[in-house]
Amino acid sequence: MTRPAHPHAMQPSRPGRTRTAPPSLPDRFPFAGRYLAYTLFDLTGLLYLVVGFVVLRAVWALGSGPETWQALREQFTNPLYVAFHLLTLVAVCFVAVRFFRLFPKAQPPRIGPAKPPPGPVIHAMLYVVWLGFTLVFATILAGGLF
Amino acid sequence: MRHLLLRLEPLIWLLFGQGILIGTILLTGWLLVVGVLAPLGLVSEGALVFERAHRLAAHPIGRLLLLALIALPLWKGAHHLRALSIDFGGASRDPAVATLLYALALGGSALALLAVIRL
Repeated sequence: MTRPAHPHAMQPSRPGRTRTAPPSLPDRFPFAGRYLAYTLFDLTGLLYLVVGFVVLRAVWALGSGPETWQALREQFTNPLYVAFHLLTLVAVCFVAVRFFRLFPKAQPPRIGPAKPPPGPVIHAMLYVVWLGFTLVFATILAGGLF
Repeated sequence: MRHLLLRLEPLIWLLFGQGILIGTILLTGWLLVVGVLAPLGLVSEGALVFERAHRLAAHPIGRLLLLALIALPLWKGAHHLRALSIDFGGASRDPAVATLLYALALGGSALALLAVIRL
């Protein structure tokens, strides 16, 4: 069953001579077929927004002194917090995989005189940066470095 | 408001894009260690004690990373939720929804700046 879509999404600046049907959402929107990944990708925004404020709370606690920091660390051992962080970690990995696949396709054919590297090279570079940085950052946080 | 949002679109897209790219790169390690492994006791006890955590965070690079770790995911989240709201038929309410979400991201970013300054 189709229903009205965003009425201005594809509207031309001036009416053309060809008559067009009013825009409508595809049958499979929002959770069937390829729309599932699309909608889930947008839904990760909720987790990113919440986790941003959770990290803010952690940094604020760190600036408030040892007691506040210790209290926050104890709160983080609550199973609900662990489950939330685990779910967000899965969402972050999903965003990385989907976005890194899209990124090479979004490159312009030329940037001034330079040509971007081939898509597979950009793709591989993104994974190297992501996994390499995560390894170093996680090692530092876990006490293995510095 | 719609006109202002259109004028700010390049800046919002910049923060949104960096939220996906840099925010995702930064969040993975943080969530893994601070959110999951440390609470489960799989990280050495001394790794996140106050003295060490504060020393790392108060370093200029630490402050910059923490600012990005907070602010960029907020902008990614705000923009994606706005897109979701439009997709679910909310074109008419978009100016109000967008203003609310971007105000949250802006307020959170300002607090993040304050949080890293007071470390």
